[in-house]
Amino acid sequence: MRHALHAEWTKLRTLPSNLWLALAIAVFTVAATAASTAAVSTAQCPTPLTCFEDTAKLSLKGVWLGQAIVVVLAVLVMSNEYGTGMIRTTLAAIPRRHTVLLTKAAVIVATVFAAGTLGVLGSLAIGGVIMPINGFNPANGYQPLSLLDGPTFRAAAGSVLYLTLIALLALGISAAVRDTAFSITAVLTLLYVVPVVSTFVKDPEWLDRLRRFSPMTAGLAIQATRDLDRLPIGPWPGLGVLAGYAAAAMLLGGVLFVMRRA
Amino acid sequence: MVMTTPYRSSVQNPRDGFVQLMLAEWTKLRSVPRWSLTMLGGILVTILSGMLLAGGAGSASSGGDGATRGISPQYRDAGNYVHRVLTGDGSIVARVASQKNNDPWAKGGLMLRADAKPGAPYAALMITPGHGVRLQANFVTDIPGSSSQAPRWLKLTRTGISVTGFESADGATWTKIGTVELEGLGDQAEVGVFVASPDALQLQRQFGGEDIVENTNLGEATFDNVKVEPAKPQQLPPWRGDIKPVAPDATSFHLVGAGDIAFYHYATDSTKTMLTGAMFGMMAIVALAVLYVTSEYQQGLIWTTFTASPRRGRVLAARAVVLGGVTFVLGLVAAFGTFLLASPMVRKGNAAPATLSDPQVLRAVVGTAALLAVVAVFSLAIASILRRSAAAITVVLLLLLAPLVAGSALPLAVAKWLERLTPSAGFAIQQTLERYDTAIAPLPGLAVLCAYTAVALGFAIWRIGRQDA
Amino acid sequence: MEATIEVRGLRKSYGPTVAVDGLSFSVQPGQVTGFVGPNGAGKSTTMRVLLGLDTPDEGEALVGGRRYRELRAPLCQVGAMLDAAAFHPGRRARDHLLWMAHSNGLPAKRVDEVLDLVGLTSVARRQVGGFSLGMRQRLGIAGALLGDPPMLIFDEPVNGLDPEGIMWIRNLLRWLAGQGRAVLVSSHLMSELEDSADHLVVIGRGKLIADTSVRELLDRAANGRVAVRTAQRHEAMTVLSIAGATVAATGPDSVTVSGLPVERIVTLLTEGGVSFSGISEHRPSLEEAYMELTQHAVEFHATAGQVRSWS
Repeated sequence: MRHALHAEWTKLRTLPSNLWLALAIAVFTVAATAASTAAVSTAQCPTPLTCFEDTAKLSLKGVWLGQAIVVVLAVLVMSNEYGTGMIRTTLAAIPRRHTVLLTKAAVIVATVFAAGTLGVLGSLAIGGVIMPINGFNPANGYQPLSLLDGPTFRAAAGSVLYLTLIALLALGISAAVRDTAFSITAVLTLLYVVPVVSTFVKDPEWLDRLRRFSPMTAGLAIQATRDLDRLPIGPWPGLGVLAGYAAAAMLLGGVLFVMRRA
Repeated sequence: MVMTTPYRSSVQNPRDGFVQLMLAEWTKLRSVPRWSLTMLGGILVTILSGMLLAGGAGSASSGGDGATRGISPQYRDAGNYVHRVLTGDGSIVARVASQKNNDPWAKGGLMLRADAKPGAPYAALMITPGHGVRLQANFVTDIPGSSSQAPRWLKLTRTGISVTGFESADGATWTKIGTVELEGLGDQAEVGVFVASPDALQLQRQFGGEDIVENTNLGEATFDNVKVEPAKPQQLPPWRGDIKPVAPDATSFHLVGAGDIAFYHYATDSTKTMLTGAMFGMMAIVALAVLYVTSEYQQGLIWTTFTASPRRGRVLAARAVVLGGVTFVLGLVAAFGTFLLASPMVRKGNAAPATLSDPQVLRAVVGTAALLAVVAVFSLAIASILRRSAAAITVVLLLLLAPLVAGSALPLAVAKWLERLTPSAGFAIQQTLERYDTAIAPLPGLAVLCAYTAVALGFAIWRIGRQDA
Repeated sequence: MEATIEVRGLRKSYGPTVAVDGLSFSVQPGQVTGFVGPNGAGKSTTMRVLLGLDTPDEGEALVGGRRYRELRAPLCQVGAMLDAAAFHPGRRARDHLLWMAHSNGLPAKRVDEVLDLVGLTSVARRQVGGFSLGMRQRLGIAGALLGDPPMLIFDEPVNGLDPEGIMWIRNLLRWLAGQGRAVLVSSHLMSELEDSADHLVVIGRGKLIADTSVRELLDRAANGRVAVRTAQRHEAMTVLSIAGATVAATGPDSVTVSGLPVERIVTLLTEGGVSFSGISEHRPSLEEAYMELTQHAVEFHATAGQVRSWS
């Protein structure tokens, strides 16, 4: 297991594109946060004091874009081996397939955790600079964000967890689908298209269900720090829903990966 | 050196024109079973999700269906109207003695319409608490008068199909506000006084949804000196009240009314809603279009392609035409299939159901096929530039979806600009109604996507001939 | 149009790597020209430039006197097989050939003809993904023959084939050349071209090492050497060395002699009382001749700087 882990880590590390992708996770997250925080200001509220903006959530907004790169990285770790035929070499070296999948999962989780932490901290930092300029300052009743604050810490740490769960979801799906194009499309459709389409669902009961059970909207509930009672699903149960998706995908991918010939 | 007579190919009249290229590309596209299945899957998913979405598309809001029976949900035609028939030309004059200020757009004034049924051609001259005197017609025309408040004298004069509005402080000196023409106005018209008031509306937008709550908001106004003056002498029939009976020959009225006579910006676009399922089908088509290109690079098949057809720009153009054409045809199947199967599932409301005879609806349905075709060509161009599946798919999906996902969480003004300037503007072609959140009109929206596609394809064609394959 | 493939002063580099450096040669119709060099010598690059896939930095590569990208309906003029794996695995063999045929307006019956020619008719409707390497090679060759072209370019066609497949390709190449076509076949193993090539273009590190007919190359490599079989190897070597010959032991009971004609060797050995069981002129294999050539090339490359003056 230790050798297998070392082997997977070496594979990931020695492909330059992986380094760029990991970096892109952080950069995209921070950039999208910067854009989002710049677009929102107290000027859009009736009065600055009645904005009720969730500033922690706002400054973690970039995660929804960073996750796209997480998906690409996690899918490629698996599907690239099928595309190049390297999977046969890998399985010749490590014949126990569940070990291969688990070590891949471990390596990708570690990478995304590191890149995600970087992105989340960067987001909080850039949000902390931009938001006060846009009116979210102590004069209007918004205290600067601090990781020592319980809910803010939960939102930040939860965002990193969110990204790692997305990575596992993508890895599981690519182990099941094997093809890069179809895997990425499937995961991004699940993440992005479901929330966009649910904008058009008018039945409040169905809308509520969709918000509770679509992986992105449920998982991102972890970022909420105020008006928790008005969320369709609580922060931790929401992340739990995503974890369920990730576990199901890993299970499906794992079973197919072990059973199918390479 | 061995000398022999040079060999001549036995093949007669080979041709490598554009038609041959298209035939070759079509053969490639149709001969991979997995791709055909993806296409079929895209159509099925589009139709199925359209049917599911249609189930929840009927009512406008959680506050009930405020739509006016039998007319497009784009318009509201309600309120309290007291009227009588006027034959031929003539005028109606009244003084709005007082008006309750319950909404800036509460309306009290005179109205002339072809008949009393909802949706009939009308001209209305009114006083509003927030926007002064207005002459409005047929939901879209809106001519401002003075900013006066009640009490104020108003006069509507009909000449043929022209209706002119006047206002006056004293009922003696009149100021003309404007003239509107009402197509379809017969010899007999209904004239009278009305009160209307838009519902109080609460709107909540958030990640993945919007909530609209409407509450009835009663408007109130008092009219006196109400007089109908026919151009040719006639016996005027008695006043008729739509809500409560009124005295047959009254000259003053106190009216209370709810509901608006106006363009409605919060209607549910049921056609767009059911066609939104095409977004799932679109994902399948993006994956297919990207694979169509990148698989050749991955397998080295591109060398065979370029040795068979060395004029590479034409290869790419042929590919775009074939893929775009195939997608358009399949898109038509998906879009019409969705409309025909999903329309019956739309919850029946007051508003008239969407039909294909409505040019807006037809444009949305055919436009959905066009949207899919353009997105396919856009994906193909991006894939030709990037050559890698992962990169191409991520770029295309983010360009198409990110503005929509981000938009629903950003302030409306920012979201609208995102939807105007990015390729996701193309989704506008699915609109049949104009709403508060409409960023761009249907055809200009599709044009934005087409422009992105043209630039990407142009660049891809320009570069493909200059690069080593 | 003359069915001649011609490369003139070709130079192509990818980034800092020079793949082909001032290469010139021509391929005549009616014979099989072997294009030989170790892996990475620049064979594939030359072929890619010939087929218009890559643009040369300097010089030109012409097929039938024109640049490939200027050809109309190129499949009827040049047939090529570059990479045996270049198929979509989900496509059926016949469909692969069909789209190629369509692209040059060739009739669909050509597809069936070439399938028959390479012996794939029975699997024509199977997906290429399930094909063995040998079947893929045959399909690639079928694609090259689709337009019945007077010029053919094959990159490593026998790579990874079984002996039966190698025999098949050899015979096919000879047959194609016999019809008057110009055939260029690359290989990194000279032995693969034994019995099929008439002419050889040998390159190393992107430069021409030899452009010669197979007969000339073998004659030059034999270079008057004589093989002697003898139980008294030591004595034979002594006698012949004294007479001024260069003698090399090639086995426990055999030596190779150069510098003396056969008759003189027989006389010397008889006079010296050395018994021998056989004496014959040495016939080197193509491989040996090639090794000798490339040895020079390697030695040469060791002393860089004179690169331009050689070849």
